[in-house]
Amino acid sequence: MIGRRALLLALAAAPPARAATLPPATDGVVEVAPGLFVLPGVHEEASAANLDAIANTGFVIGEAAVAVVDPGGSHAHGLRLRRAIEARSRLPIRHLVLTHVHPDHVMGAAAFADLRPEVIGHARLPEALAQRAGFYEAMLAREMGAAAAGSAPLPPTRLVEDRLALDLGGRVLECRAHPPAHTTADLTLLDRASGTLWLSDLLFVERIPSLDGNLLGWLRELAALRLEPAGRAVPGHGPAAVPWPAAAAPLERYLTALRDDTRAAIAAGIGLAEAPARVATAEAAHWQLAELYHGRNVTVAYRQLEWE
Amino acid sequence: MRLHRRPFLIGLGAAALPLAAQGQEEPRRAERWADLRHALFGDRTVEDAGESLAIEAPPRALDAAAVPVSLSLAPELVPQVRTIHLVIDENPSPLAAVFRAGPAGDLRALSTRIRVNAYTYLHAVAETAEGRLLQAARFIKAAGGCSAPMGTDLEAARKRMGRMRFAMPEGAPAPDQAVPVQIAVSHPNTSGLQIDQLTRLSIPAEFIQTLQVSYREQEVMTVEGDISIAENPSFGFTLAGKPGGELRVEAEDNKGRRFTGRWQLGMAG
Repeated sequence: MIGRRALLLALAAAPPARAATLPPATDGVVEVAPGLFVLPGVHEEASAANLDAIANTGFVIGEAAVAVVDPGGSHAHGLRLRRAIEARSRLPIRHLVLTHVHPDHVMGAAAFADLRPEVIGHARLPEALAQRAGFYEAMLAREMGAAAAGSAPLPPTRLVEDRLALDLGGRVLECRAHPPAHTTADLTLLDRASGTLWLSDLLFVERIPSLDGNLLGWLRELAALRLEPAGRAVPGHGPAAVPWPAAAAPLERYLTALRDDTRAAIAAGIGLAEAPARVATAEAAHWQLAELYHGRNVTVAYRQLEWE
Repeated sequence: MRLHRRPFLIGLGAAALPLAAQGQEEPRRAERWADLRHALFGDRTVEDAGESLAIEAPPRALDAAAVPVSLSLAPELVPQVRTIHLVIDENPSPLAAVFRAGPAGDLRALSTRIRVNAYTYLHAVAETAEGRLLQAARFIKAAGGCSAPMGTDLEAARKRMGRMRFAMPEGAPAPDQAVPVQIAVSHPNTSGLQIDQLTRLSIPAEFIQTLQVSYREQEVMTVEGDISIAENPSFGFTLAGKPGGELRVEAEDNKGRRFTGRWQLGMAG
């Protein structure tokens, strides 16, 4: 059980938790480093019961402003995050970072619309949103019913081509736009002060990764991110924080198996229809929700690798 | 032959756009198929194929822009069936492909990958040499496949346009042994419903229109394709015949580009 073992290792290796010395938060928010907060998601599919709060979202408090990193999967989820911020800081919520296009990360943005925050995203995010937002809104209405009401992304107002330094006053978040990896428009953040790499969905822990960008690109980005000066990472799915780069290992193992087994299947003449049941199934078994996403990952990998 | 009925079928697609309420879905779907069947086959009788024509597809697609579908005929029908139509009822251009057997081939086992735009029935209609029509249906859950962005970037796809892949996983054929063959043409097969990443304009439809397979200079099968066939059109079929001959694939897209692939098939075993 590689996924779970990695979690146990992560827990064992983590520095003494600050939370243990503080009164426990009643709203589920975890302060993983001073001023850097994560609201962990659950490993489920979107539903009315979980309000599509399935991804890790959070915020960073500087001396002058607050930045939200992913406003959540629904209006209700975004509102929960907003209340958590307002309970901890009276500084203005000036920035809203959308790490990528997926609905569990962006559909809560509408809950911050009245604050008119600067909305930051990858240079290719507007196109991805244009292609998919309508589809996601319909999907959320189908999965959540009335609980989806009001959920929508906000259009990015500031695009990142390569890097962007986001100054919150006495604290700079270094945003970085990646070539296609998890999706075609992934953004990560480095909080150098606390040594925290906010990887969002470039890092999955426990919950099976979903491949929607480029398999080889994702492996390349992970290898490069290992070298970043950070001892802690915030995954898009999984615990609020995990040790970095150790926590990359299970993900890299899964993606590598996906790559190698898919290549082998293509070489053996195994078709697209048969591949999902035959490729990297042993690695997939270590992850939660594998039955929902692994086959799709194989399909994406297969279509990318068959013309190498 | 061009799929000359396409404009009419597109018209039907537009008329059916306002979705009926959930309870009315089945009658609406049945009516849509009746309309499509009439457009394709007029007043001819179309019998239910029962067990003799099977459609295989995942009940819920893993990727709506490339849903693997396979069709198979019962052995007793193999010598009789010369044409199979594949229809995706709810797609903007429902007639996805027409497979025609050549003198040196048959349609016992076919496969391809399709785009699926909305939850839909797939219909396959087999036509025998004496003009009998036999239909089979399968429901499939997938959505958004026709307008889904390209799986790869268009520029890279254009560069390798026309490259072909070939696989014969069970080895070479023999005169009395039909073996599975997979061929694929690298081609963006754009649907006309996708949006350019930069200009935000529609990408024009460019797709493989005919693909002909021959072995030892005898025609095995011809496929007439359309925008419902996924990017990098891929087709599976069976081939029987003396090993050691040349398999030849000739494809042409709607812009008149021609692509050719040739493979020398080894001796059996």
